[in-house]
Amino acid sequence: MSLRTTRVLAAAYFVAMTVAVTWPGLVPFSRVEPLIFGLPFAMSWIAAWIAGSVVVLFLVDRVEKRYRDGEAD
Amino acid sequence: MEQWVVVTIIISVYLGVTLTIGLLAGRRSTHSVTGYVAADRSFGLLVMYFVTGASVFSAFAFLGGPGWAYSRGGAAFYILAYGAIGMAPFYWIGPRVAALGRKHGYVTQAQLITGRFPSKGLSALIALLSLVAFVPYVTLQMRGAGIVIEAVTDGHVPIWLGSLVAYGIVIVYVLSAGAMAVGWTNTFQGVFMVVIAWTLGLYLPYRLYGGIGEMFTQIQVARPDLLTPPGLDAAGEPWTWGAFSTFILVSAVGLMMWPHLFMKAFTAKDDDTMRRTVILFPTFQLFLIPVFLIGFSGVLFAGSPPAPDFILPFMILETELPAIVVGLFCAGALSASMSTGDALLHASASVFVEDGVAKFVDLDEKMQRRLMQLLVLFTGAVAYVFAQDPDSSLVLLLASAYGIISQFAPPVIAALYWRRATTAGVVAGLIAGAATAFFFWQNPDLKPFDMHEGILGLLVHVPVLVTVSLATPAQSEEHLAGYLS
Repeated sequence: MSLRTTRVLAAAYFVAMTVAVTWPGLVPFSRVEPLIFGLPFAMSWIAAWIAGSVVVLFLVDRVEKRYRDGEAD
Repeated sequence: MEQWVVVTIIISVYLGVTLTIGLLAGRRSTHSVTGYVAADRSFGLLVMYFVTGASVFSAFAFLGGPGWAYSRGGAAFYILAYGAIGMAPFYWIGPRVAALGRKHGYVTQAQLITGRFPSKGLSALIALLSLVAFVPYVTLQMRGAGIVIEAVTDGHVPIWLGSLVAYGIVIVYVLSAGAMAVGWTNTFQGVFMVVIAWTLGLYLPYRLYGGIGEMFTQIQVARPDLLTPPGLDAAGEPWTWGAFSTFILVSAVGLMMWPHLFMKAFTAKDDDTMRRTVILFPTFQLFLIPVFLIGFSGVLFAGSPPAPDFILPFMILETELPAIVVGLFCAGALSASMSTGDALLHASASVFVEDGVAKFVDLDEKMQRRLMQLLVLFTGAVAYVFAQDPDSSLVLLLASAYGIISQFAPPVIAALYWRRATTAGVVAGLIAGAATAFFFWQNPDLKPFDMHEGILGLLVHVPVLVTVSLATPAQSEEHLAGYLS
């Protein structure tokens, strides 16, 4: 994937996350049932976005690193 | 032996170990200003991860977090939501800042901003605003330490004495060793804190309710309005979506603008270390989950603490845990308080001397270091006086400080990315933004949609910065070449 596409997608993820954890994106998910791992749904929903951000940043790093190494050559 | 005696012994051992680590780490640092402020730019991944994580998770998260979960329910989830969003841009911003730091010899945020936008007044303004935001933050940490010690020793060690001893130790190692001591003690404290939080967060729901799901099912039946965002306000009435959402936004924007966190970019050994710290940071955020579980476990519990901030020590004492566990918990909470408090004291002194004094008076390195040490003592003393006030909520103290801190984001972004920004634009924007935030902080009834004053400040700040910049002559290409390549 190109550097530009990667950065745009990463930015899109964090914009989507911002919407998903605030008004109005959080409204439909602001409920208790179903419990996920025993936690209220809204809490798991936010935690899942946080976990996702680790994955996104890790993938971004792989692409960015390839380009940085390429520049050095 | 009585319980409080055992607890006091454990806390003393813990404090002794922290002090030893702090003093030993300091012997590895050089005596230069870069050594004191930026640890000779030497931190590897392990230390960077815990320095960043432990400085963010303070008494605010460890005591205020459960306090909010307990009294305001779903409102507390705002604390969970903002960290990952606020940190991610630093994957790109961090290495840029670090590169400029190495190139121009910067050790503070204001040096970076006023390097690009030369103005002594701007430097002094940033130093002043930082200090104003730092005092409530340090106050909160000291009060947190005092609360914990007083509660678990049955009042044998009152708040004034507990916070004095804990922060006496912090001040000793910050004075003698600076950033190096802060880094290594935070690593120790960070590990300690995570282990304690997960252990208690899982134990209490099982012990009291038979499981986490069981606990939430019972809370849902008894208090159906509690568990969903935006939760409740301080009075127990439903909180607004406007406030919930803008608390997240202002905290995300402000998070890395805290001088003690921003300056971490200058302490990293290399760019890869910093990038990996950013990638791993959200894992530290998930540590709030057990912290909230501790608070929620108190909701249906008979009896209540004197104030929501006391819920954690209250639960520990009421569930009749063995004294050794109480002592370890207490040490974990002290870790949370001290690992942030030391970074704050250290940063506020560095910022005030580098940006407030050294810009106006010629000081050699030795004098600067000496002056910083004096300021650590002074800031500590001021915060200590405020910490004795019983009418302060830990979360609200910090949330107000974010109104000021978030105003540093536009100047930093403009310095790094916008060629057309000018000194006049940045100064005008900062003054307008800070004034707006201050106005709405003073007049909360006038806030549209109950929005956080920091966000209202930014809504004025950014247009002013852009308009005034475009109305004034652009900076020379020669000057810009040093900052934007």
